[in-house]
Amino acid sequence: MTIEIIEDVVRNTVTRITRKDISQFTRTTTFKDLEADSLDIVQILVALEDHFDIEVVDEELESITNMGDFIDYINRKVAEKTARSA
Amino acid sequence: MLEEKVALVTGGSRGIGRAIALELANEGADVIINYLRHRTAAQNTAEEIRQKGRQAHIIRANVGEPDKIESMFAEIADKFGHLDILVNNAASGVARKAMDLDERGWAWTMDINARAFLLCAQRAVRLMEGRGGKIVAISSLGSRLVMPVYTAVGVSKAALEALTRYLAIELAPYGIAVNAIAAAAVQTEALNVYKFNEKLSKTWQTTSAGRMVQPEDIAKLVAFLCRDESFMIRGQTIIIDGGFSIAPLIT
Ligand SMILES: NC(=O)c1ccc[n+]([C@@H]2O[C@H](COP(=O)([O-])OP(=O)(O)OC[C@H]3O[C@@H](n4cnc5c(N)ncnc54)[C@H](OP(=O)(O)O)[C@@H]3O)[C@@H](O)[C@H]2O)c1
Repeated sequence: MTIEIIEDVVRNTVTRITRKDISQFTRTTTFKDLEADSLDIVQILVALEDHFDIEVVDEELESITNMGDFIDYINRKVAEKTARSA
Repeated sequence: MLEEKVALVTGGSRGIGRAIALELANEGADVIINYLRHRTAAQNTAEEIRQKGRQAHIIRANVGEPDKIESMFAEIADKFGHLDILVNNAASGVARKAMDLDERGWAWTMDINARAFLLCAQRAVRLMEGRGGKIVAISSLGSRLVMPVYTAVGVSKAALEALTRYLAIELAPYGIAVNAIAAAAVQTEALNVYKFNEKLSKTWQTTSAGRMVQPEDIAKLVAFLCRDESFMIRGQTIIIDGGFSIAPLIT
């Protein structure tokens, strides 16, 4: 799976759940910019874990500041999963 | 004892659900562990069960989503063919005052905590057909007592307890016993939500029994309700709280 596909899924999921226009999502956008509350964040994580069949570790998210970091993190998790199942 | 029984524990990966899953395995049951996000925790609980010589199977499914419940039960039917015990334990919820609650938070909480109980029970009953079974729902004192920001969860637990009564009567002719357990505060990760309120956190540190309720206290009560010794207990919500609810001012 390419990073472009992952970025696309993350962008669509995040903007759908936070009810924001897709144009408001860039790599420097933060969850705060999107006015995401704790329920939004849980729903985003559940949706992405489901879609990519990965496990997001909450503590690992603490260092994430913006959507760019978030996409890279999800990409890493997908790569780890692919490596495990190879 | 629960030898040869197949049990599903929703939210069986961590906290109280984990203790319930392990206790049912201690009694001889094979256990299906449903979870939402923490796969490693679910795998660890399953591994502990296997070390007890019992079968364990994990299923990721958001019980707030009807189609996920459907596929979870299809997987159970496929793998085990039947079910003897359903423990409706999974819960989530938004922590807000009534005036701050929005539709999304209300729906999320009610779907996972109350609607899922109905949908899981409906599907569990099909897998219990001709053999009977036990259904136990996990509630909390918040179904009756008012606690800060517990609004949505408290209401969902009240619905769960009412549904327990209706199911108990409707399912009795099929040899299925249905009960609920309402616990006082238990030290699990779920309690971290209330860390902001120091006074509250202190209030429930002690009970007249001298300590907080432990996950294992609840697990042992679940196991009792799953054994035939409890045959005549139907549609009840059994309070397990060290006396907290009858004497909140005396500790
Ligand atoms: N802790 C207390 O003080 C207390 C007091 C009285 C009653 N209770 C009740 O006891 C039960 C267990 O609470 P707990 O303290 O053990 O909670 P917890 O530590 O937060 O664990 C919740 C469990 O439910 C699962 N879960 C959450 N949402 C789910 C969903 N939508 N679909 C499937 N699984 C889901 C979680 O899965 P993941 O591991 O994948 O996240 C986890 O296994 C709940 O019904 C709660 O209301 C708790």
